[in-house]
Amino acid sequence: MTDYLTPSTRDSVNEWDHRLSEKLLEISNLRTYFFTEAGVVKALDGMSLEVNRGQAVGLVGESGSGKSVTAQSVLRIVPRPGRIVAGSVKFEGEDLLSKSDDDMRKLRGPKMAIVFQDPTTSLNPVFTVERQLTDILMLHRDLTKEAASKRALSLLERVGIQEPEKRLKAYPHELSGGMKQRIAIARALSCEPMLLFADEPTTNLDVTIQAQVLELLKQLQRELNMTMVMITHDMGIIADMTERVTVLYAGKVMEVADTPTLFHSPKHPYTEALLKAVPSVKQTRALEVIPGNIPNLIEPPSGCVFNPRCKYAKDVCMKQEPLLEKVEEGHYVACHFWRELKLEGRAG
Amino acid sequence: MQSTADKGRPILEVNSLVEYFDVVERGILQKKKIGDVHAVDNVTFHISAGETLGLVGESGCGKTTTGKVILYLEKPTSGSILFEGMNVVETFENGNQTDRKQLRRRMQMVFQNPYNSLDPRMTVYDIISEAFVIHRNIPKNQWTDRVYELLRMVNLEEYHAERYPHEFSGGQRQRIAIARALAVDPKFVILDEPVSSLDVSIRAQILNLLIDLQRNKHLSYLYISHDLSSVRQISQRVAVMYLGEIVELARADEIFDKPLHPYTQALISAVPVPDVDHKTTRIILPGEVPSPINPPQACRFHPRCPHATDICKQIAPKFEDKLIEGHFVACHHADKFV
Amino acid sequence: MFSETVDAAHNDLYVGLAATLITTLIGVAVGALAGYFKGVVSDVLLGLIQMFFVIPVLLLILLFARVFSVLVFHGLGLTLIVLILAFFGWSGIAFIVRGETFRLKEMEFVQAARSLGAGSYRLLFRHIVPNILSPVIVVATLNIAGFILTEVVVSFLGFGDPNTSTWGLLLNEGFPYVRTSWWVSLFPGLAVVFCVLGFNLMGDGLSDALNPRLRE
Repeated sequence: MTDYLTPSTRDSVNEWDHRLSEKLLEISNLRTYFFTEAGVVKALDGMSLEVNRGQAVGLVGESGSGKSVTAQSVLRIVPRPGRIVAGSVKFEGEDLLSKSDDDMRKLRGPKMAIVFQDPTTSLNPVFTVERQLTDILMLHRDLTKEAASKRALSLLERVGIQEPEKRLKAYPHELSGGMKQRIAIARALSCEPMLLFADEPTTNLDVTIQAQVLELLKQLQRELNMTMVMITHDMGIIADMTERVTVLYAGKVMEVADTPTLFHSPKHPYTEALLKAVPSVKQTRALEVIPGNIPNLIEPPSGCVFNPRCKYAKDVCMKQEPLLEKVEEGHYVACHFWRELKLEGRAG
Repeated sequence: MQSTADKGRPILEVNSLVEYFDVVERGILQKKKIGDVHAVDNVTFHISAGETLGLVGESGCGKTTTGKVILYLEKPTSGSILFEGMNVVETFENGNQTDRKQLRRRMQMVFQNPYNSLDPRMTVYDIISEAFVIHRNIPKNQWTDRVYELLRMVNLEEYHAERYPHEFSGGQRQRIAIARALAVDPKFVILDEPVSSLDVSIRAQILNLLIDLQRNKHLSYLYISHDLSSVRQISQRVAVMYLGEIVELARADEIFDKPLHPYTQALISAVPVPDVDHKTTRIILPGEVPSPINPPQACRFHPRCPHATDICKQIAPKFEDKLIEGHFVACHHADKFV
Repeated sequence: MFSETVDAAHNDLYVGLAATLITTLIGVAVGALAGYFKGVVSDVLLGLIQMFFVIPVLLLILLFARVFSVLVFHGLGLTLIVLILAFFGWSGIAFIVRGETFRLKEMEFVQAARSLGAGSYRLLFRHIVPNILSPVIVVATLNIAGFILTEVVVSFLGFGDPNTSTWGLLLNEGFPYVRTSWWVSLFPGLAVVFCVLGFNLMGDGLSDALNPRLRE
């Protein structure tokens, strides 16, 4: 059981252990489109991502960026009318897109799992907490009901729920938001997956509860050597929880880098703008505005998808889509002018 | 009745405001009251002309209810609200219609959810001009001009007036809501989580707009939010609420850089900072926020407070600025943190 | 036979439309008031709605038709049906309207109008009622169909006015000859089916047409 009253310090990137630097997840040029009545929504339009074993990786973007759709695509749970139309997703070297539904079902739980944003809708309201957990355990781990119940109890303890025996018999609506999210995390971890997607797991929670849940995730990630993809729009969470980060905008990758590098020397105008637009609780400074709105994904701008809002945009930006280019090892950016632009990051 | 806002007199004075909601059990024929929700419990603060007071806290702390009560959208259980010297509660309960309408013109509110705060069946023109229909203070032939002027003020276009709310994005809808609030030419606006449902890149637009409008029109704001980062941007002073009470109130930099109340300290340390070099000493509070139906005795924060001692469980701390002038805090041990 | 069916149509439609109009007006009025106000008013109205909801309207009609058979023979049979339907059949709409009013009352755009100084009248009729139109219209058109069916049942069972031609009456007259002259029942039967179907579809379409969200 965790002692909550101990202040915890954020680890610096170097202290995190990379186990086998083997690529656990490799997404290449993924395109996921939604075929709606209004038109084809290009939710993901050429997205690439690499995650090594044991890494904590961030996927940051605003609404419409495609960050949630990425997780859904990997797990192959993209809701209709969405469909993966192109690209490849490799997990442990195996191609996931060619797997049958049955095979995917065997992977969901034991190999990869997801924690969703809203625990109220992601937990089944007519199942007790116990049932939410034992169902999965009995399905994937072939346990008896008693064994599964015991495991469920220990899972609740692991995620820091007080009086776990009482909570087992409770229904979701009897619990607070923070507790529900812990149970969602317990459920996701019940079969000890190698890869965990956390899709805005704390956005609906109060600030102090958010801190609890983030600490929990950090702890679990370390203890279980889990690979975690943290999907969020909050740059503060990125700074705190991740070692590498991918910036998404309108379904495309803008920049990929190690987290400190991204904050100190961003190479993409969107990244720079994002860093400048985010207020900080630590200082009062003028916020720089990004003019315009998130683009229409049915008819995205031609050329670079960010060009209508980019203050450095030139002619070529409207005509030609920039490809991801290498800035240095581990740092990639999709911008025509990254060499020329002198962008400002956030100083320490 | 003309109200006079004296120089130096605050535009809004809230004193010992209390709002309890009944908790009832429904029987077949009768209802039985079994308790109270202590939504707002003895809240006192004031706002000067042209100033922004930030009101922060987590869910259930009573900040939204406080805003609604100030505008008399909910009837307070007790306490007084003085706006430009006028007694708000008295005016709405016993006053005449002219005074009531005047209050409604001088105090306005921008609501949290831009998807619910605009009537889906009205055009933008109707929404903004509704104020003119109700108050009839502008001749009808000037309405269109005034609507266009308001749209321009919030950086929208004239042709937007014919459209319906669902045709706009969240940020644009919030602008329309701001234009609507400004249509009556208020002096004081309550902003209830105006940017919480908006994307990061849009938040800055709206926050900057609000700051500009404040400067140009000498408005006073009560900025209610759980997002501490945006509160810091826009507020001169900040009040922190917990379970219906204000536990700390001071100038913004004092609250954020040197908080004196343990809850404020935990709250601020919990916010993720978008800076890689920042080392958080995160104070993790145990447990959940208790229910406002049965708040803890004496100091309401004592069950979760890392510094609680016996006195905290027995005597409610006084809300005073004994230690630093202008910096109010309700804690027996605040002197430790000065 | 066909012409007789067409001839009877106006009577059936009269029942359906008139009854629906009245029930909708009453239902919206009662439901909105019940949902908008708090306290005793709301509770009393709710009790009223619930009471009327459980009354078996069809049985009442049959009962009244017998009791007031004198009216029936004077050609007011249909009006009697309309009146009873109107008097007792508004509770379904009232329920829905009450629920929607409850929900909308707390919505922020209503709160915003209040904070602008709008009075109860304006809030109810400018903001709340227009936004409950959609489900009400759907139920109302279903009611037209439902009420017509009620009339058909009443007349078919022989409780209706034997002098006023309606589809139910036609079916009643044709019933003994179903085996031999089945077409006598076919036309009025089909008329009922198409009528009910038509009103249902109309309800759907109206609801969509009135939804500003679908305007492009």
